[in-house]
Amino acid sequence: MKTAVRQLGPLLASVVGLLLLFRIWVPNFLASENLIDLTQQISVNAILALGMTLTILIGGIDLSVGAVVALVGTTAVFTMASVDESMSPIPQLTLGILAGLGAAIGIGLFNGLSAAKTRMPPFIITLATMQIARGLALRFNQGRPMNVPDSQTAFLAIGNGRVWEVVPIPVLIMVILFAIGALLLHGTLFGRHLYAIGGNRLAAQLSGVPVVRRETVVYILCAVMAGVAGLIHASQLYSAEPASGEGFELDAIAAVVVGGTSFTGGIGTVHGTLIGAIIIGILDKGLNQAGVHFSLQYVVKGLVILGAVYLDVVRRR
Amino acid sequence: MRRKLSNLLSVGLLGILMGCGGPTPESQEKPSRTFGVVYQTLNNPFFVDLNAGMEEVIDVHGDELITLDSQFNSLKQKNDISDLILQGADAIFINPVNWEGIKGSLIQAKEKGIPCIIVDAPVKDQNLVLCQVASDNVEAGRLAARALAEVEPEAKVVILHLSVNKACIDRVDGFKEEAAKYPGMEILDTQEGEGTREGGRPVMRDLLGRFPEINAVFPINDPSALGAISALESAGKLENVTVVTVDGSQEGIAAIRAGKLHSTSAQFPKEIGKAAAEHAYKHLNGEEVPKDVVIPVELVTAENADEFLKEAETGS
Repeated sequence: MKTAVRQLGPLLASVVGLLLLFRIWVPNFLASENLIDLTQQISVNAILALGMTLTILIGGIDLSVGAVVALVGTTAVFTMASVDESMSPIPQLTLGILAGLGAAIGIGLFNGLSAAKTRMPPFIITLATMQIARGLALRFNQGRPMNVPDSQTAFLAIGNGRVWEVVPIPVLIMVILFAIGALLLHGTLFGRHLYAIGGNRLAAQLSGVPVVRRETVVYILCAVMAGVAGLIHASQLYSAEPASGEGFELDAIAAVVVGGTSFTGGIGTVHGTLIGAIIIGILDKGLNQAGVHFSLQYVVKGLVILGAVYLDVVRRR
Repeated sequence: MRRKLSNLLSVGLLGILMGCGGPTPESQEKPSRTFGVVYQTLNNPFFVDLNAGMEEVIDVHGDELITLDSQFNSLKQKNDISDLILQGADAIFINPVNWEGIKGSLIQAKEKGIPCIIVDAPVKDQNLVLCQVASDNVEAGRLAARALAEVEPEAKVVILHLSVNKACIDRVDGFKEEAAKYPGMEILDTQEGEGTREGGRPVMRDLLGRFPEINAVFPINDPSALGAISALESAGKLENVTVVTVDGSQEGIAAIRAGKLHSTSAQFPKEIGKAAAEHAYKHLNGEEVPKDVVIPVELVTAENADEFLKEAETGS
């Protein structure tokens, strides 16, 4: 409990600080609509970062998530567009989502088994599957965007709809996934196993943690999160874009480390990651709305990431 | 001690942000109009020029323009646009990454009653936008094919495409339409050259290996043409291959003067930017604006390259 406060204190303080800071330049920065929009903007990155947290926690990494976003979107939309037209939208949607998430599970399973069973570093494995997934995504429609069929209102609602006219559906999905993630990581034996593996893989193995199984599951979970993000992304774009998602893995990693997860594994929390994603989202929105020149935005974001990680290192020493 | 240091650093980070802050609210006496513009990339002199044209008009009115770079990332573009919408921009200029995927943003703007003006590359859902300002891309393609036919009526052509971009699709359509009028002309293949120097070079090299008979190339813009030229040069084949393209950038004209590029159908990005801004003001003043504003293109070859450069320098 005490450590949680110690970790979250400065993070929450930066969130409040940043919000108030941008309020100076952007009069309606704290307007409820702007804040709701903020949560919607971070949803894709936050969901990717949730999966990424698990892989970084066990001392791994998954660079393929951005390409998986594209692969899942294209697979799902392609499936929906090519099934029998007489099929009603809901079964069509189910098939599309299953096909998309199936593709994600396939990549995740491969990443996980390779990372757990061979001595290849996860950085290299997922660098390779990133290329493979990107290539597979580009196979669809000669690499051109594919429109979501107009009849697919349910699919379009995933990224664009709102519950009770207020809460964007992607935000609801994000919150549910983070709640499940927090329960899983901080309330179960499975979660403790992940910390053990990240702390010291060999020691974990010797003390009876099923390392191979756990690692494989972590990479599958990470890919499935990327899959969910990919479905939201395709829905928001009204189309699946084979070239989309490039660099998303880096944004996700940034959210994870700003949120206090140690890059060497064994330390980190799910709620920290959520706050990390929020901080990056506030920066993106605030700098845009304050009219900061786009070239400076990169510099500021780089400095903030460096600063956050440095703070983290200092606090842990 | 450590705690102190970390607190100090947090303050420091905020300080950095303050230092880079935007316009101070006091500096403007009357809160005039705010415009936003979102580009698919600013890593291309074309868009930098376009932005300069837009700024010129907006500066004259004493208003503010927020320029954002979406880095070819549709998600970032969507977020950039919603930031501008919620900030209450008076009008938003959009150069779409994905001409279909922009739909959600256009709907959001329409709901708020903010007019969207599309620059350079069109969008699919034209009913959602106020107007589109672009070069006559089909004509640019036609001009390129005609220029090629004059020197190489029996051309065996390869096309370096950027097929996600509607402006480039139009150029290629125009080129093919015109090329079909010359029975000796043959299009061997169309490949993705990414519209960049880095993208054009390797593709050209591969095509040279596959089709030894190539004697002409149509890359869809100056950067990919320069990439193709560098591949042709290193293969020692530039002398036998005629390169025609579309753009009219400084680098492109320089290549024409050096005898490496045969022609470029020049666009006028600054004019596009100016026209877009002018039409936004017209609309805000209650005037009717046309749905499609087409900025003419002009063929540049060795004959008029010097003249063209001079005109560009004097800022016509």
